[in-house]
Amino acid sequence: MRVNSAAHVRIGRLAGRFVSAATVVWLAATFTFLVQCLMPGDRAQIIINMASGNVGEASPAELAAVNAKYGFDQPLVLQYGKYIWGILHGDLGLSYQQHRPVLDIIAEQIGPTIILAVAALIAAWVIAVLTTVLVAGQDNMWSTLLSGIQVFLATVPPYWLATILLVVFAVQLRIVPVIGGNSPIGLVLPTSALALELSGFLGQIVRSEFTRVLEQPFVISARARGMGELGVRFRHVLRHAALPGITLSGWAIGKLLSGAILIEAVFARQGLGGVLVAATSSRDVPVVSGAILISAGLFAVTNMLVDLTYRIVDPRIKMT
Amino acid sequence: MSVIERTSLWRLGIQPNTRRKQKATAVLLAVSTLLQISIMACCSAQEASAGGPKRGGIIRYGHFQEPPCLFGGWVQQWYLQRQYSDNLVARREDGKIVPWLATSWTISDDRKVYIFEIKPNVKFTDGTPLDAQAVAENINGWLGNDPDRRNPTAAPYLEDSFESATAIAPLTLQITLKTPFQPLLNVLAQSSQGILSPTALKRGLAVNCNSPVGSGPFIVEKWNHGQNVVFRRNPDYNSAPSHAKHQGPAYVDGINWRFLADQTVRYGSLLTGESDVVYDIPAVAWKDANSRFAVLRHITGGTPLRLALYTARPPFDDVRVRQAFAYAADRRAAVELSFLGALPFEANGALSQSSPEYISGLGRSYGYDVGKANQLLDQAGWTEHNKDGIRLKNGKPLVVRISYSSAFLKPDGEQALQVIQQQAKAAGFEVRLQPTNQADFFAGKNLGPDDYEVVLLYWVAPGAEIFRISWKPDRNGQRNRYNPSRYQDEALWNVVQTAEQEFNDGGRTALYQQAERNIVEKAAVLGFTVLDVTLATSPRLKDVWLDRGSVGEPVFYDAHFVDVK
Repeated sequence: MRVNSAAHVRIGRLAGRFVSAATVVWLAATFTFLVQCLMPGDRAQIIINMASGNVGEASPAELAAVNAKYGFDQPLVLQYGKYIWGILHGDLGLSYQQHRPVLDIIAEQIGPTIILAVAALIAAWVIAVLTTVLVAGQDNMWSTLLSGIQVFLATVPPYWLATILLVVFAVQLRIVPVIGGNSPIGLVLPTSALALELSGFLGQIVRSEFTRVLEQPFVISARARGMGELGVRFRHVLRHAALPGITLSGWAIGKLLSGAILIEAVFARQGLGGVLVAATSSRDVPVVSGAILISAGLFAVTNMLVDLTYRIVDPRIKMT
Repeated sequence: MSVIERTSLWRLGIQPNTRRKQKATAVLLAVSTLLQISIMACCSAQEASAGGPKRGGIIRYGHFQEPPCLFGGWVQQWYLQRQYSDNLVARREDGKIVPWLATSWTISDDRKVYIFEIKPNVKFTDGTPLDAQAVAENINGWLGNDPDRRNPTAAPYLEDSFESATAIAPLTLQITLKTPFQPLLNVLAQSSQGILSPTALKRGLAVNCNSPVGSGPFIVEKWNHGQNVVFRRNPDYNSAPSHAKHQGPAYVDGINWRFLADQTVRYGSLLTGESDVVYDIPAVAWKDANSRFAVLRHITGGTPLRLALYTARPPFDDVRVRQAFAYAADRRAAVELSFLGALPFEANGALSQSSPEYISGLGRSYGYDVGKANQLLDQAGWTEHNKDGIRLKNGKPLVVRISYSSAFLKPDGEQALQVIQQQAKAAGFEVRLQPTNQADFFAGKNLGPDDYEVVLLYWVAPGAEIFRISWKPDRNGQRNRYNPSRYQDEALWNVVQTAEQEFNDGGRTALYQQAERNIVEKAAVLGFTVLDVTLATSPRLKDVWLDRGSVGEPVFYDAHFVDVK
């Protein structure tokens, strides 16, 4: 009986998590849709002006034709209702500019963005862990220097960093191509540009926790058992020190997705960034809403995964 | 139709680091120049041997912006359409109209009926025959009511005069006009009026945007959104324009048309040999590019990039105040300073310098003269000053709000506006800048009747036929939306219409120039700079040229690779 109810509780909590994630996604979609529809400026006017590449008030007849075509003449509640109904049926609508299903547009672009974000997260972790384990807690020049570099990396704008990396490593030294496309070698610079900044953040967090844990009694006892310094650091201390970093990773995915938009533009990489920027500047409501919706979904899923990861890293934590 | 410039980042106003970034980039590019000049100097190009140009190879072209559809009114779409479709006629650099899909044509004595003979045995790349009927369907679609087929470039020129397009024989097309319109052939020569397969058009806008079908030298094979458009050679191509350097299929196997929005990436890819040709050379690299690559440049005709002064209410309803504003700032110095010589100043607000009707003397109108500006403002009654030195009339300050968007102004241009802002203050103008992001601008923000005194815009065309679009007065409650000055002058409009109906070249040019002088004198628009199209090509690639229809689209049809030792 006890086992059963515990399982029920667990399933109930998972369901609760899922509902709250779904709520986040729904709110994101609603917010984006409404904000864009309610922003000053007529959507039909934008569509006409974008098509002609010029500005100027269109004639009433022209506006009426476009309004009817896209259903802008319907009440906003009805437009919203149709939008949400569509989402529930897996239909994110048609792009005003590309005239294609939004789902197709996002599907063909999201792969490279996810690859970039995940690669950057992994790279940031590797950089943060290696530098921390090797240097943290040692009161020497290297430790101070590392801390300084981390603060610098955490604050430098990735857009600027990306351009510098590009000019130095691609245009000057020609170690990597300027136009990497979707090839693995093309991933190196964009990943570095995103990861270096994040590794600064992660490194700072992991490092301060690491330094604190180094002074815990179990570390002294491990040392007393004759364990080597690196062993202590990797097997015992890191496990504790990583927790705040893992929490941060959930947030980091959100940051990486938004950072990827800028980085993709710099490196002319395919991805959601280009789509989102183009759609925002032409106020292509279905595409922007769709991209936000999918990003919010990714963010929610990642955070659920982060919660689960806690328990693997530190079994003492129960899901509450 | 306009060239929308700059990357999307600029459009969104994400620019806090760019100034710093630009400097860093400039320094690094300069260093890279020094390093590479020595390498490049050794390599002089050599023409292909006697057997004619070499066949084969894919041109790797680094372009700038990606449109949402592969055809349409935006020049980014013209560039692409030029590759896969053919026009009825072509326009040469000297402005002469030459045969393309139409081998010959006649114009009736009353100038209202055009009969075109269509080149035989031409097929669209989906196999549909290109005959008079196909062309007629295209033209009727451009000027019809279906918003998916309507052509936003052709319509404002032709909607008043067009009556019908019909196939009177399989290869004979008749276009009938209600009133004569001499610039018709110029309009037909623009890439947005490229002829598309009527069979393909029936597939609907969504499919056509992605895989349009023309009869051109290249075929759209695949559009990888966010990355590139892949063109492959049309092996059966038999309809090159008569002024091309050869006939028959293209020499190269295809084009990899890549979208490289960042200028460092774009120009950098040419430096590293990852591109064979790139578009829009950045101002910081202008000198470097000229010393190292073959640089092609086309200054677009039609209007220059100009300041349109709102003439329908104070203060600019008074021509003296408009002229005073023109004299009050050294626009030439502002433009030359900001664009580092990459773009020339254009003082003629009516017409850009590459238009055949351009009067070069007007390129020196309204030179910097604060004394004259003050004198004119005094005459206009702006005699009081407030404590900041701003002129007042009836207690109201002389405020000039300039609306502009990165959609129409390269980022360097913003500096020029700041210079104008500072200088005009000396004459007593309070200039306020109203930067507007692209989406808001297209939605009409800062563009309402009470929102601006000046707006920065342009419209590319072959030449003075643009006057119809700019200066047609409002009719029957129908506002001319392309007249942001709201300057309405029936006398000017009469001259423009008379010019359009004048088939004697000298007479027409004289009439258009009369209108041009009038526009400049009335100062409803003030010149600023021009729009240009620039390409830098590697020494490996020869015979790329720019179309002279109006926009300057890159033409890769004659291009071929050479062996470089």
